[in-house]
Amino acid sequence: MSDESPRLEGPLPPAALDDPHLQPYAKHPEGTQAIAAVALIIGFLGFIGFGITYWVSDNTQWEAVTLGVGMLGLGFGVITWGKYLMPQGPFVEERHAFHSTEDERAAMTAAITERGGMVVKRRKLLGGLFLLGSTAMGVVLVFPLLRSLGPKPGRTLFLTNWKKNSQLVTVDGRRVTADDLDVGGVLTVFPKGYEGSSPDQVILIRLAKLGPFDAPYPLSPPGRTDWTAQGNVAYSKMCTHLGCPVGLYQEQTQQLVCPCHQSIFNVNAGALPEFGPAPRPLPQLPLKVDNAGYLRSQGGFDQPVGPGFWERP
Amino acid sequence: MIDSSLRWVDDRLGVAKGGRTFLDKIFPDHWSFMLGEIALYSFVVLLGTGVFLSLYYVPSAHEIVYHGSYIPLRGQRVSEAYATSVGLSFDVKSGLLMRQAHHWAADIFLGSIAVHMARVFFTGAFRKPREFNWIVGVTMLILGIVNGFLGYSLPDDLVSGTGIRIAYSIMESIPLVGSYLGFWVFGGNYPGSGIILERFFILHVLIVPLLILGLLGAHLGLLVKQKHTQFPGKGKTEHNVVGSPMFPTFMAKTTGFLFVTTAVIFLLGGLAQINPIWQFGQYEPFQISYAVQPDWYMGWLDGALRIMPSWEWVGWGHTLPLEVFLPAVIFPGIIFNILIIWPFLETRKTKDLAYHNLLDRPRDRPLRTAAGTAMLTLLFMTFFASSTDVMANFFEVPLNDVLWFFRFAVVIAPVIAGFVAFKICNEMRAAEGIGKRKRALIISRSSTGEYSTTEAEPRPGDGSEELEAIPVPTFIDLVPPELATGAGVRRVMR
Amino acid sequence: MRRLLKARYLVPATLVGCVAVAGLLSFSPSAAQASSSSTGGISTPTTSLPQQVTTQTTTTSPIGTPTLPSASATAKANSASNQTGLFYATLPKAFIAPGQALFAANCSTCHGPEALGTTRAPNLQGLGAGTVDFWVSTGRMPLANSSMQATRKPPRFNRLQTLEIAAWVQSLTPGEGTKVPIVNTNEADLEAGNTLFTLNCAACHTITGAGDALANGAYAPSLHLATPTQIVEAIRSGPGNMPHFSEGNITNAEARDIASYVHGVIQHPTNRGGFGLGGIGPVGEGFVGLLLGVGLLMLVCFWIGDRT
Repeated sequence: MSDESPRLEGPLPPAALDDPHLQPYAKHPEGTQAIAAVALIIGFLGFIGFGITYWVSDNTQWEAVTLGVGMLGLGFGVITWGKYLMPQGPFVEERHAFHSTEDERAAMTAAITERGGMVVKRRKLLGGLFLLGSTAMGVVLVFPLLRSLGPKPGRTLFLTNWKKNSQLVTVDGRRVTADDLDVGGVLTVFPKGYEGSSPDQVILIRLAKLGPFDAPYPLSPPGRTDWTAQGNVAYSKMCTHLGCPVGLYQEQTQQLVCPCHQSIFNVNAGALPEFGPAPRPLPQLPLKVDNAGYLRSQGGFDQPVGPGFWERP
Repeated sequence: MIDSSLRWVDDRLGVAKGGRTFLDKIFPDHWSFMLGEIALYSFVVLLGTGVFLSLYYVPSAHEIVYHGSYIPLRGQRVSEAYATSVGLSFDVKSGLLMRQAHHWAADIFLGSIAVHMARVFFTGAFRKPREFNWIVGVTMLILGIVNGFLGYSLPDDLVSGTGIRIAYSIMESIPLVGSYLGFWVFGGNYPGSGIILERFFILHVLIVPLLILGLLGAHLGLLVKQKHTQFPGKGKTEHNVVGSPMFPTFMAKTTGFLFVTTAVIFLLGGLAQINPIWQFGQYEPFQISYAVQPDWYMGWLDGALRIMPSWEWVGWGHTLPLEVFLPAVIFPGIIFNILIIWPFLETRKTKDLAYHNLLDRPRDRPLRTAAGTAMLTLLFMTFFASSTDVMANFFEVPLNDVLWFFRFAVVIAPVIAGFVAFKICNEMRAAEGIGKRKRALIISRSSTGEYSTTEAEPRPGDGSEELEAIPVPTFIDLVPPELATGAGVRRVMR
Repeated sequence: MRRLLKARYLVPATLVGCVAVAGLLSFSPSAAQASSSSTGGISTPTTSLPQQVTTQTTTTSPIGTPTLPSASATAKANSASNQTGLFYATLPKAFIAPGQALFAANCSTCHGPEALGTTRAPNLQGLGAGTVDFWVSTGRMPLANSSMQATRKPPRFNRLQTLEIAAWVQSLTPGEGTKVPIVNTNEADLEAGNTLFTLNCAACHTITGAGDALANGAYAPSLHLATPTQIVEAIRSGPGNMPHFSEGNITNAEARDIASYVHGVIQHPTNRGGFGLGGIGPVGEGFVGLLLGVGLLMLVCFWIGDRT
């Protein structure tokens, strides 16, 4: 790091050993040295202790204590040495203006503008062509950096694997019947063959114990009463806020609560969000019961699942 | 021996001149100038423990069967990332200590950056000529936050995996390019092709640390070139620096401090459990735990997401999820941009283009102090808002009420705090003798019953006000010339 | 030394000390009870309440002192579920009469003399002995404060009395509702319990079983004091806002696995890394890291540096 002061050519006068600036802070340097020495010894022993602990027991707490004591000992000792036993000062250093003189600045500006001006002004064509080429390089090099990373979204965000007559299964692949759940029961289900798939996760809730010949459960969104099956209702488990699984069901208030940011969805009203940051209801999966009593979907969701994105209409 | 080695090196590199100047550099001794060192040394610990961890961790989403020591997981299909992270915690000697020390060091790293930044801000150390260093520092803060998030997401556990899901959705919420960005970064629709862990890994261990190291070099280099600022006081001017020399005093104190910082980090690392991923289980996108928060330095973003009302804009065939975009993209964008351009904002207001090597006391700049206090209060409020459910449970208050409280507090509290700070600054400036270090008075009673006072001795750390500062002596008369022997006399000219 | 006692050290040191104590113990009331079980990997019994139900946790023998029908009789009735380590007891008829007396003296004021309910309390007919056992053995009933969600507290009745009350309520609607389960945790599959707990329970009770606040003033309680019997009773009867998990949803074997996992792992967490900080995650860690970690280091800065 070069300094602005002139090169040293002759000797500097030495300071006397008894100069007050060179004396240590400590009133009793011997005592302070003893303290520092004890600290350093404790540090040494701490590290030895760590070595022993590592080989003997690998107990995390003892490793931490010995290592910590070792470091503290050394640190305390060296700090005591530095603060109390070294020259107390104070010392001063001049700040020299480090900016260049006006002449040097003028020279630098001239170097760029005059020499540069000479060649660029005369050879504008070359300058322009180089700029064109560099810009093209800059633009196209971005392509592999970004585009190679992954596929285009296409229609993927709009579709799930729930189709007409998809079988509802648990994460273990077990098929779900209309009576598997009690009233107030809740279960995570997937379409058969896609167990564990994130966009297809659905939460199944039993709101009433209805039989195959009873009137369907009266959900409040109009036109959706035939989306329930013997009191079972199903919604996408992916929160419409940020995609967390909405696994928290409050049976008495019939609300789904998203554990991430506490959006509250009314299960009776088509999972309409009543509170919190979620903007849209959870998409509902229309259900039906097949001839063997198993639950199936009537079709896919009527809208994309999950959080909002630009292309979502 | 030092003489001949130095000669050899200097013949080839010419380092003696610069080296001496470097060793004579003066560092002012105020305690608040050491806060940056906490950050520096916790970064050193991060690098060291991080290297250790990287020798065991496998950044792969490929599933294997867990066969390690933690019994409740035995037989479960987990990703290699999770299995190796749990393996570090149970089956690698001193692995858990290193893992926890690494995580505590990250928390302390960012915490100390915050207090260091606050010190620099409130004392006006970012003014000319140090605007560059301020910008470098804020950039390191942003990179540090990002690297922390990437780091704690690497174990692929239930808690951090939820955070990754949220990060994907935040990317998705960006208008025009959001869905593309999500698909490209993750390699497909969430959870993607599984490549995200490898990308997080290489960013976390190579790309971002290299950037931070480079910026750190610039940060320290600028500090050496421009010299440290100092508080006004006896003998201190705009044109000097008063304090301890680099060698030996400052080096001793800072080396000791490195040891102490390492000690605190390792003590926490073994005595206070952090991120017990084996209790959380492997991340699955259809599973979740309640009462989940990100690490503290991301808390302000989570809080902003929780309190934001559900304003989503839908129109003309498109959706703009403002309830995500505003708190998670625009809000931090505004905050960081204000931070970065603050020196220039201040110059515009004060029209002050002079060099400043002497620091302000916060009370001398009431507007700046009030603005900083308001900003800190805003960040505190959003930080606390990320634990609404924990607070509702602890204080036994309904969750909905806590949320409404924070929606208002986030706006009202910074205004009140800024106003109060402003008032306090003005009052402190108006009061006589306030804040001055008072010397103790020793009361003595004479034999006739009169009381008199004498001032006590100055203590170390009082700034050595009794002594006039001198330049660092290059040569010291360790051996008076009359007693010098032939060999070992080191001076060339005498 | 005197210098160390000066205000500039004392105030921040006290602050750091207070936070150290608070942060290292716990933050939530329910977790405070669990802190005895979360120190340094030593497994200690978790409950400090005088619940006799704790004696039955790992045995196949019937509970406590009262005589239940012989194992063979109930075993025949539940032969399939016996292999899963979980079967449902039929309480002896001799419990019914004393149960009615206890109910009349303690519960009928709110629930009515025939347990049909009043404006103050719901109808208990059809809920089953297991439901009654859960509410009474956890001390939630008799209710202390009717304006908020019932909380766990020391039970008013001993085990025998609790089962007698349960038997009487069950006798009003024989065969209906949740029965009292007998849980054998010995052969449980901890890994299966882990998976099931994460999928079905963690969303409300948190992954460490610490519990948390729900919407509209409700809360999911901490699981650190529940016995395996109470866990299965809760799973089957879905108390309060908790969903009902029937056998078609969570089988008996799965319920036994969940109960074993909660009893074994949730209540005795492996805190290999040191103090568990209450198990509430990054909130507590942030406090400790900032106030203890950065705070301590700032104290060291005060010592090393000058004040002026």
